[in-house]
Amino acid sequence: MIIMNEQEKILTEKESLDLITQMINKAKDACHDTGIAAIMWGAVIAICSLVRLSELHFGYRLPFDIYLLTIVAVIPQIYFTIKEKKQRKVKTYDDGFMDSLWMGFGICIFLMIYTTSAMYSQWDPAADEYRKLTGNAYPFRLYEFTSPLFLMLYGLPTFVTGVSMKFKPMLWGGLLCWVSCLVTIYTPIKIDLILVALSSIFAWLVPGIIMEKDYRKAKSELAQANV
Amino acid sequence: MISKTKQNMSDNSIYFLVWGWLTFIACTAQFVLKNIFQYEKHYLVWTVIIIGVAFSIYQGRKEGTSVKAKTYVDENMKHLWAGMAISFFVLGMILTRLGWGTVIFPFFIMLYGLGTFVSGNFIQFRPLIIGGIIAWALAIGSTFVNYDYQMLFGAGAILISYIIPAHMLRYRNKIAND
Repeated sequence: MIIMNEQEKILTEKESLDLITQMINKAKDACHDTGIAAIMWGAVIAICSLVRLSELHFGYRLPFDIYLLTIVAVIPQIYFTIKEKKQRKVKTYDDGFMDSLWMGFGICIFLMIYTTSAMYSQWDPAADEYRKLTGNAYPFRLYEFTSPLFLMLYGLPTFVTGVSMKFKPMLWGGLLCWVSCLVTIYTPIKIDLILVALSSIFAWLVPGIIMEKDYRKAKSELAQANV
Repeated sequence: MISKTKQNMSDNSIYFLVWGWLTFIACTAQFVLKNIFQYEKHYLVWTVIIIGVAFSIYQGRKEGTSVKAKTYVDENMKHLWAGMAISFFVLGMILTRLGWGTVIFPFFIMLYGLGTFVSGNFIQFRPLIIGGIIAWALAIGSTFVNYDYQMLFGAGAILISYIIPAHMLRYRNKIAND
């Protein structure tokens, strides 16, 4: 029998067990993360890379930069984050670690875009010169040669999440990002784009689908348990 | 648990200190060798990281043999810094291969900031969080200067994000123990 200090209510053994079961289930539910954000980012990065690949391969150009999709994707990400925080019943140590890891990663992505853009601004005069001499637009954007740097960054939080959460799909996904990163140092842009698409699919999209499936399964089990 | 981890981080702050001081010395020595002595092979100072690697292996083995309960938080920190070490290695390979040796510092400073920012947030130790944010600001700042001065930005980032917070952790632990 348990005596609750505040309410001075005496719980029966059955009530105590129910309370414990309820707490465990709540914690279990909180530990199952939705995979929505991972699915979204995996799909967005893969789409951007593959569209850019088709532009290069078939020699056309969309009226807008496909990579702008990554900025648009920030809006649903903010929505998912707020929603998840509201739904979160218990904040575990893992949650705090993952939150700061992925927040730091997001900041670093912006820093990486800024740093590489700053570097390549030095190349703009050469691009202008090319345009004047040939009469054609520069055939590529120099920032597209930064695939290895971005893959290196993609690998870090994915690997750490995989190891810390003991979630193998993400661990292997993170390792794949790093291997792809080393390969892209030696390969032309088209191969780089394929590797970026593959890495984002295996590091985020596939693990995200598995996470979402587990989350839904856990949720329905919880509903069935009627606790 | 978090307090215990702060204590453990303080115990492990020796890694931050060794790596911090080695990197700080390498950055400033490279600046001096390149700009004051005009020594061509100024980059050789970075061989000092061998000392850091040897120390980490020795210390890691020593700790591995001692009986000490590892907390869940310790494990996460270990995974984070293992990931950071791989990232540093991969980044070094990328920049060397691409021939971007003269723009190396903004990328490294950015990674220094990431490691300390995440660690600081996780163990709720403000100096590490602030150190990480300042390192990121220095990464941006370093894009405005040439390679020679980027080294000094690197030294500054290490001082603020590794060395000072690590000394503060040690001091805090000493006071707590006393």
